[in-house]
Amino acid sequence: MKKLTPDQIEIIQDKRINELRKYKASLMVCAGTGCVSAGSLTLKELLDNKLKKKGLQDKYLVVPTGCNGFCAQGPILVIQPQGIFYQKVSSEDITDIIESLENGTYVERLLYKDKESEISIPKMENIKFFGKQKLIALRNKGIINPENIDDSIARGAYLSLAKVLHQMTQEEIIEEVKKSELRGRGGGGFLTGLKWEVSYKTGKDRNKTPYIICNADEGDPGAFMDRSIVEADPHAVIEGMTIGARAIGASEGFVYIRKEYPLALKRLRIAIKQAKDYGLLGENILNSGFNFETHIHRGAGAFVCGESTALIASIGGKAGEPIASYIYPAETGFRNNPTIVNNVETWANIPVIIEKGADWFASIGSIEGSKKSTGTKVFSLVGDIENTGLVEVPMGITLREIIYDIGGGIPNGRDFKAIQTGGPSGGCLPKIHLDLRIDFDTLTEAGSMMGSGGLIVMDDKTCMVDIAKYFIDFLKDESCGKCTPCREGLINLSNILTRITKGEGKENDIELMKEIAETMELASLCALGQTAANPVLSTIKYFRDEYEAHIKDKKCPAGVCKELIKYKINDNCTGCTICAKNCPVDAISGKPKEMHFIDQAKCIKCDICNEVCNFEAITVE
Amino acid sequence: MKDIIIDGKKISVKEETTILDAAKELNIEIPALCHRPTVEAYGACRLCVVDVNDGRKTRMVTSCNYPIRKSIEVNTQSERVRKTRGMLLEMMLSRWPNVDVIKQFAAEYKVTKPRFIHPLVDYSSNACILCGLCVNACSEIMWEDIIGFAGRGESRRVVMPFEKHYDACVGCSTCANICPTGAIKMIDDPNQPADSKRIMKYGSKIADEMVLMDEEQCDMRGVGTAHLAQIMNDYDLFPTCNYKFGSHKDAGGLHSDVFKQKYITQGLPDGCWLGCSMSCAKTVEGYELKTGPYKGDKVLIDGPEYETIAGCGANMGIFNPEFVLEANFYCDTYGIDTISFGTGMAFAMECYENGILNKERTGGMEFNFGNEEVGLEALHQMGRGEGFGVIVGQGIRRMKQIFAEKFDLTKKQIKFMQDIGMEAKGMEYSEYVTKESLAMQGGYGLALKGAQHDEAWLIFMDMVNNQIPTFEDKAEALHYFPMFRTWFGLMGLCKLPWNDVEPADNAETDEPAKVPGHVEGYVNFFSAMTGKEIDKHELILQSERVYNFQRVFNYRLGFGTREHDSIPYRSAGPVTIEEYESRAERYDKQLVEKWDYDIKGKTSEEKRDYLRKMREADYQKLCDAVYKRRGWNENGIPTIQKMKELKMDLPEVLAVLKKNN
Ligand SMILES: Cc1cc2nc3c(=O)[nH]c(=O)nc-3n(C[C@H](O)[C@H](O)[C@H](O)COP(=O)(O)O)c2cc1C
Ligand code: SF4
Ligand code: SF4
Ligand code: SF4
Ligand code: FES
Ligand code: FES
Repeated sequence: MKKLTPDQIEIIQDKRINELRKYKASLMVCAGTGCVSAGSLTLKELLDNKLKKKGLQDKYLVVPTGCNGFCAQGPILVIQPQGIFYQKVSSEDITDIIESLENGTYVERLLYKDKESEISIPKMENIKFFGKQKLIALRNKGIINPENIDDSIARGAYLSLAKVLHQMTQEEIIEEVKKSELRGRGGGGFLTGLKWEVSYKTGKDRNKTPYIICNADEGDPGAFMDRSIVEADPHAVIEGMTIGARAIGASEGFVYIRKEYPLALKRLRIAIKQAKDYGLLGENILNSGFNFETHIHRGAGAFVCGESTALIASIGGKAGEPIASYIYPAETGFRNNPTIVNNVETWANIPVIIEKGADWFASIGSIEGSKKSTGTKVFSLVGDIENTGLVEVPMGITLREIIYDIGGGIPNGRDFKAIQTGGPSGGCLPKIHLDLRIDFDTLTEAGSMMGSGGLIVMDDKTCMVDIAKYFIDFLKDESCGKCTPCREGLINLSNILTRITKGEGKENDIELMKEIAETMELASLCALGQTAANPVLSTIKYFRDEYEAHIKDKKCPAGVCKELIKYKINDNCTGCTICAKNCPVDAISGKPKEMHFIDQAKCIKCDICNEVCNFEAITVE
Repeated sequence: MKDIIIDGKKISVKEETTILDAAKELNIEIPALCHRPTVEAYGACRLCVVDVNDGRKTRMVTSCNYPIRKSIEVNTQSERVRKTRGMLLEMMLSRWPNVDVIKQFAAEYKVTKPRFIHPLVDYSSNACILCGLCVNACSEIMWEDIIGFAGRGESRRVVMPFEKHYDACVGCSTCANICPTGAIKMIDDPNQPADSKRIMKYGSKIADEMVLMDEEQCDMRGVGTAHLAQIMNDYDLFPTCNYKFGSHKDAGGLHSDVFKQKYITQGLPDGCWLGCSMSCAKTVEGYELKTGPYKGDKVLIDGPEYETIAGCGANMGIFNPEFVLEANFYCDTYGIDTISFGTGMAFAMECYENGILNKERTGGMEFNFGNEEVGLEALHQMGRGEGFGVIVGQGIRRMKQIFAEKFDLTKKQIKFMQDIGMEAKGMEYSEYVTKESLAMQGGYGLALKGAQHDEAWLIFMDMVNNQIPTFEDKAEALHYFPMFRTWFGLMGLCKLPWNDVEPADNAETDEPAKVPGHVEGYVNFFSAMTGKEIDKHELILQSERVYNFQRVFNYRLGFGTREHDSIPYRSAGPVTIEEYESRAERYDKQLVEKWDYDIKGKTSEEKRDYLRKMREADYQKLCDAVYKRRGWNENGIPTIQKMKELKMDLPEVLAVLKKNN
């Protein structure tokens, strides 16, 4: 294929836009991992077939897209440009959908219903989940086919690359990124432009060629921001990396992506190939004389491999362990050359900063005071929340807005108890912090962190000691085990927490855990160990009474820790016998129409009786 | 240099020095469990934490790998540092309550009874404490990577691949030696030494020296013997155009830097056997051959060694590294020795340039110095067994004979061939210019097997450092070193670790040339291996027995007398006027100072001839002195008396000797 020049990008852009305009509507079928597993690919095929059968294939275009964001309601179908949002679409709905397209109406039953008002909302933009979002990194989600580079180009991809290659010096690019005050989205929040500058200068001073790495390891449990970006818009990442490469003078780059992301991997491969064919990657990019190759390195899925030095070691074929050093990858990284590691989302922001300018970017977000967090952040919102999914919001938005406006609040009429931010080694923030602004520094001050953007919402049935134990156990297994404080600290914290949840807590356990935590924070080799005690520290800080209830009263107030709870039958019992019939271990006895009784020695606390009882006669205490 | 303060004490250190090293200079102790000078700081145990204030803020860092770059203030004993170390030790002690190192450190921090019960408690006193020293030592000292960590977090453990015994482990015991707890045991030592601990002690001493000092000393791990090319050229010892000269303006083309930067791949040492910590062999990969049957193929070349560089390079008047590589490859492939090839070709080339050979006699080849094409063509002929190459391939002694018989040569030409044909006892000289070192002339001429330097290499002692001025001194050296070096052959040991790396304090010993620290190591090695205690005198005696026996053996076969210890004059002094005049100042000075010769008005020819007379006489005097020291008669035959002293008066030996004595 012929390699493109900058003008030709615009020609392709116009051509594709005109092609798309010929259609009366595009049917955007979400082909993100969530919807695919709910059957969206079959749906797409059936839609295609049906349209063809009816001879409508030139009128309506079916586009498989990346994750739309509202994963809980998948498979998702959005009709563009009208913006009609259909949820939980199945093959039976196809006929109705096409019919309504022809009639200019919509299929009422597939529309999103507002929880409170019970009113159906046809347009995506009017749904609260989308309303408060601002899309920069995810600018193309759900509206392009990520496997077709022309779709990306139609949306402006690679114009920023053309601009930096032909109109900007390396210093100017770095200056622009610095001015945007973009901070790394992988967790540390380090100023991206500053990092680039270090690599650029080191490379020049030492006459070494820098490397570029995109960190798509994303090992946090429950997080899927980076995967979604790659699945929805791989060209945004490739373009960002190529711009970065140009800025610092790299000619080779890597995307480190975990093997558990087959779809993202596939789309990335396709995108790299298409970009290469167009001369947007490889030699003499856009006829500028600049060369840049990028390779894919598949990670085996260790959380710690997301840490930049471990990641670099892993690409180099060594064990994925962080390297103890006070020299940073930006100076001495892969093959001892200056190396820039940036997160997927960080890279995806770059083309937009170049396109719209640093000032524009720097005007978005949490920008008062000296410690700014500019731009937006992508979060994956999960847990006890109505609207689970992927959201991109301006920095500085409050937790409350995310949980209640976007997330639709806590389901089943329960109460909000805490939100865990920042991935496994983040912290749990309680109700009093609901109005906290989400930015790097505010979260850290509150004892949590931004991390890479995982948000886990917990309702009042959650035991905070149990939650702390869950995260500590995760980290205990994921710590590489190289350094003493992290390895031994986590083993001991886990051990103590296990004791506490079993009712074997001791008087000074809380203080002992705090002491271990302090050593971990001060002496651990990498950020995993340095932050690993956060789940314990933040829950002690905000939910100390729960710890004390476990330790002193041997009670689990949320009724979660099995060893500390008892199932009892109360006066409401009508003697319907249903519980006795369902108990798997025959622990319940009683005559029909008489009050029943649970044998504590036999009860295994499976909660079945509680679930089957129709009279709220089971008490958990 | 950076001025820093550690615990209130000032010190000025080189930039990039670690805090741990700086503190050591101030005699400030910092507990460092996972650090040794021989391996790179790993930063795993975290016991070495200290507080560092850089003027802006205080942070805790690990001192073993924190490089000093600013004027910092360090506190190694702050309260939080002590508390942190205490907690680390408390956690370690709870897991490994009986490991001595941990108990000791813990006691220093008043930790005796941990406050928690560790779920993985291991009561063994030899438990592995995951310090990583063994893994890093295997990788960095031995370049082996046989052991590594498996598992994450609490399941982290040291293993061989797939947790099975791995045959590729060379059994060097480096890991067992460095382990602070004794967790690694050598289960099977195929050599069955009498005392393996003692062997380990001396073996690891060499390994440590290699790691710590080799790069500054000989860089054997980096470039191998190739490092010698530059040194020899600097001292005028680098044989150039058949040993005419000892240096050349283009010799830079053959320096080790060139090979290292452009050709040697992998940057990995490649030992003759897997456990070698010196591992001086090198490899060039993907080299595309330009000639011969494999032309165009990309091949792997083993080397090049110094002798190959000098022989297949400068000695043939060629300074192109790629010629050296190509010749190296084909010599190896055809089974030809690179020294004999290089020295033999150099001889043929000089014969060609002096009319002894011509195009007709060489089958059309122009045998000038520096002719790379002919150099390789002759090699391929040798390989194929055809053409003039076959004659060169038979070596110098035969060439001299063949040329004299086949071609119509003058007496003068025949004499010239004797002078410049660099062989002794039929073996080609290895690649050092010996003209200015009488002792080294003896080193070559008196060696039993022929002109090889592996019995003695005395040039620096003799010529550069003037440590052996008299005939007796030289004779002593020509007794001791050949015996000492013969011992390596007797034991099947490599000689290079003896003096291609030296102990840090070697220069301060009485006899640095002998490397006494390493002699002690070999004595201990023998004793520990065999269970038989010997001392350094017995070591020499062991060789002397064999050495004298070999001399008698030579004698029985019609060699082994003074006549056979003679050397070509090229190795003792300038044969031609060109040679004399190229170093005229040196020779004139010697004539005047050493031999009171009045050089005024003398032609170069006269001076050359006088010098030759003197030097040839000296060589004979040297033989006298050496024979005497070795207990041989004036014809160089071991005396019966000597054989008796050595308890080598075997009937067969006596039968040979009685015939003559
Ligand atoms: C234990 C651990 C896991 C990490 N995992 C990731 C990850 O999955 N993705 C990521 O981008 N950064 C991760 N990081 C942060 C990286 O070390 C690094 O700071 C980041 O990739 C830099 O990119 P940024 O500046 O664009 O954020 C992790 C850090 C730690 C300590
Ligand atoms: S802090 Fe934890 S993850 Fe990081 S190096 Fe230490 S043991 Fe490994
Ligand atoms: S004996 Fe030597 S080669 Fe084997 S594991 Fe130990 S250090 Fe490595
Ligand atoms: S075996 Fe010994 S040297 Fe190796 S990690 Fe364990 S304690 Fe350290
Ligand atoms: S995967 Fe379809 S909305 Fe997320
Ligand atoms: S000695 Fe520094 S971390 Fe172990």
